[in-house]
This record gives sequence, C-alpha cells and structure tokens, in this order.
Amino acid sequence: MAELLLDPKIRLWVFLPIVIITFLVGIVRHYVSIILSSQKKIELLQVQDSQVMIRARLLRENGKYIPRQSFAMRRHWFNNEETGYFKVQKRAAASQNPMTDPGMMTDMLKGNVTNVLPMIVIGGWINWMFSGFLTTKVPFPLTLRFKPMLQRGVELAYLDASWVSSASWYFLNVFGLRTIYALVLGENNAADQSKIMQEQMSGAAMAMPQDPKAAFKAEWEALEITEHRWAVANAEIDVLSILDDHQHEPQQ
Amino acid sequence: MSYNFEELTYSEAKDLLRQWRENNERRSEDVMELWTTVLSDDLSKLGNEKHLVLEQVIYAALDCHSYGVATMCIYILSNEFPGSMRVMRHKAALLEAEEKYDEALEVLDSIIKADETNSAARKRRVAILKAQGLISEAIKELVDYLKKFMSDVEAWQELCSLYLQVQEYSRAAFCAEELILHQPHNHLMHQRLADIRYTMGGVENMELAKTYYCQALKLNPENMRALLGLFLVTNNLLNHYKSAGNSSKRKEVWKLCQWAQSSAARRQRAARALPPTPDLSQMMLALAITD
Repeated sequence: MAELLLDPKIRLWVFLPIVIITFLVGIVRHYVSIILSSQKKIELLQVQDSQVMIRARLLRENGKYIPRQSFAMRRHWFNNEETGYFKVQKRAAASQNPMTDPGMMTDMLKGNVTNVLPMIVIGGWINWMFSGFLTTKVPFPLTLRFKPMLQRGVELAYLDASWVSSASWYFLNVFGLRTIYALVLGENNAADQSKIMQEQMSGAAMAMPQDPKAAFKAEWEALEITEHRWAVANAEIDVLSILDDHQHEPQQ
Repeated sequence: MSYNFEELTYSEAKDLLRQWRENNERRSEDVMELWTTVLSDDLSKLGNEKHLVLEQVIYAALDCHSYGVATMCIYILSNEFPGSMRVMRHKAALLEAEEKYDEALEVLDSIIKADETNSAARKRRVAILKAQGLISEAIKELVDYLKKFMSDVEAWQELCSLYLQVQEYSRAAFCAEELILHQPHNHLMHQRLADIRYTMGGVENMELAKTYYCQALKLNPENMRALLGLFLVTNNLLNHYKSAGNSSKRKEVWKLCQWAQSSAARRQRAARALPPTPDLSQMMLALAITD
C-alpha cells in the first residue's frame, strides 16, 4: 500500500486547533467550576453532634486512664435513662432520598453543567466541524483492534491502524491533557488558597454522621457495655520496677 | 540564632517566614524586622504566599504594638476579600489589641451571627472577657462554648486554668480528666491532674495524685516536676499513715518516697555543674503541706 501523505494545512487547521480548543475549554471549565462551586453550609447542630460523638468515642477508648468514679460520672451523663445526653437529644431521622434535598439537587446539576455538558457540546461541534480528517499517525504499528478507537469517523477497512482521525484526536486530547492542566493550573494552589480565605475555616467541619439518631443509639449501646479497667492502677509498681532498673543501668 | 536582615534576599526572607509559619514559631519581632527591611517594598513578589504572609505580619505587628502596620495589612486583605469572615476576625483582633473591647465584641458577634459554626470567633469572645478580668463571665461563656464544641482540647485546657484561677479545684480536675481522655499519652496532662489532686488535699486525692504522678513519670522519666510532686505526695501520705497506723500501705509509700528522693538527688548531682544549692530535701520539706 502506498504511503499516505497528509496536507500540511491539516496540521495548521485541524490538528493544532483541536489541541488548542480542548486545552482552552478545559481551563475555562476549571474556572467555571470554581465560580459555581457552592460553599457547604454547616449547621451548628451537626457540628455539635459530631463533636459529641467524638467525645463519647474517646471516653470509650481512653476511659481507662481516668479514675472509675470519673468514668462512671461521664457515662451517666451520656447514657442515664432520664437525663442522659443520648436519651434526651431528639434528632429527626435523616431523609433518605437525596432528591428531596434541594441542596443536593443543585450540586448534582452543577456537576453536570461543568463536566458533562461541555463534553457533549464541544465534542459534537468538533465532530461536525472537523469530521472526516486523518490528523496524525502514531509512530508505531498497531493491531486492527485499535481501529474503532483511533479512527472514529473514518471507516476505511484497509487503512493502517496507526492513523488517527480528527474525532479520535479530540478524545485523546480530552483525556490526555489532564496532566498538562495540573501543570498549568499550578495556579490551582492560588485558587484554592483564596477560596480558603473567603470561606474561613469553620473549626471542626469534619464529616458528621449521616443519621444522628441511629449514630446516637449505636454509641449509647457501645458505651453501655464498656467496662472500666483502670489502666493507671499499676503505675506505682511499674515506676518502681522499670525505672529503677532503667536509671541504674547507665550509671554502673 | 540571629540573622542579618539587611543582607537577606527577597526569596530568602520568604523562605524564612515560611519556615517560621510551618513550625508555629511566633518570633514577632523578627517578622516585623523582615517586613520593614525586605518585604514591604514589593508585595507582588510574594506570589501565592502573599495572603499568608500578610496574616503572619498582622499578628506580629499586633504583638509589637505597631498598629499602623497591622491596619495597613488588614486594609490590603479586606480590599481583596471584601466580606470575608477571616479578615473580619483580624479586624476584631486589632480592636482587641487596642483595648477597644466593646467594638471587638460587636465585630465578633456579627461574625457569629453570619456563621454560627465559627468556633474561633467564639473563643476570641472568651479571650476578651478574660483580658478584661471578668473571669467568671469568661468561664460561663467557655462552658457554653464547650456544650457545643465538646471535643475542643484547647478549650478544655483553658477552662481548666480558668477554674484554677478561681480555685474551683474539683471542676478543674474534671477538665484535666477530659484532657487525659483526649490525649492519654501526654505526660503533662497526667501531671496536671496530679497537681490539682494534690492541691485539693485529703487522703483520697493524695492517693490519686500519687498514682498520676507515677503515670506521668512512666510516660516521661525526665519529668522533674512530677518527680518532686511524687516526693511531696508520698511525704504527706507517710505522715497520714503513720498516725492512722496502716503499716502495709505505709511501707509501700515509704519505698516510693525513698525512690523519688534518691532519683531526684541523683538528677541533682548530675546537674552539679551549677554552684551548690541548699539541700534539696530540706527545701522540699519546707514546701510540703504538713498536718
């Protein structure tokens, strides 16, 4: 089969424009998503719940380091039938359906708008604008399996599989430019920093339990069956035995 | 370690500031010096770090009472981030430093109103009350805060020292226990609880203090304060058991007391490069609480 030659104008008017367009679209998308991204508002109650959970967990895990009486007092405060924290606090069960939560809906919509939509629109446009070109050739031979991947839009049965069509070149760019974005949007950091500035770190904005009611119940149970074994009780003996040897050794 | 600030280049100064920031070194005077000699000419050269450096300079300036510099930095920041809570907090800090407490409280209140979960602003409120000497109000505010943010170690620590100031020892002990729950492997926390228990007095508390001093020593054998505390506690307990006639316990405590004394003396001998001090156990006995 005779060697194919590509018109140099293809390089100027198809190959490079596709690279530039996908690159610029990626950058625009990055900034649009920054503009659209919404601040997650945290409710005071949620923070309080998560902090209570942490404290109860710490009491369970490290309770052995405080005297028995103090441990019992704290557990009483959490678990006591009439006035215990886990008994008194009534939280509504979390709604299970994300569709009923308008905040969730808008978030999903924004994700679609910034990611899927441009992909479809630009992809369609490129397909329409630059359809039917061979743009470049990969510098190594490939098997026939690669034909549908590299030669989308050019259905020639006898064409060598290492030729790349314009539509496929676009997709290669979309996925292959990711690292270059990371390189270029090293400003990324700057954007992130100023975002932190604007929000203001709300202290303990950690992940809170999805359903406080169920979490409280689980924690209540766990705390109820926790036994208190005072870990500090033997400290005197330990100190006398261990440290004495330890301190004599280096001197003798 | 001292630097010749005049000779530092711009990037060296930047690196130095970053190093201090990352190590949490305050070094306010040095920061101010760097600011005036190197950095303040051209802010744009700071690049990404501009805002962080400005914040660092604000607090350094407040430490050094150069409110002009602080005002300028806050002005730059608030031009870039109008309506930012974080900049608002810096403004409140400036007002606080100038002792305009009421205005600072107003600013903080407006922050809290806009963002209920802003724990830093709430803590600042407590700090203002403390600065005004209204300890009981500060305690009330802090307790309120802790009802909402229960796992804030710093706040528990502060509440502990506030209670100590007003001599509410049992409550301070509660806070100290809370600190142990949060950081069970920090010997200073155990030592603090032991200190409080010792101060409270009574046999039970003395026993607890003894145990926790031992725990602190177990975690860090170099803790001299815990060693001396152990000596005092055992001395005290010895007196008690002697009069109560409990010989088995007395023997145990006696051993511990001996050990504490001898290791304290050994440590002292090891540090004998200094001029001789009066006999250690004499000094300790003078300090001890005797019946």
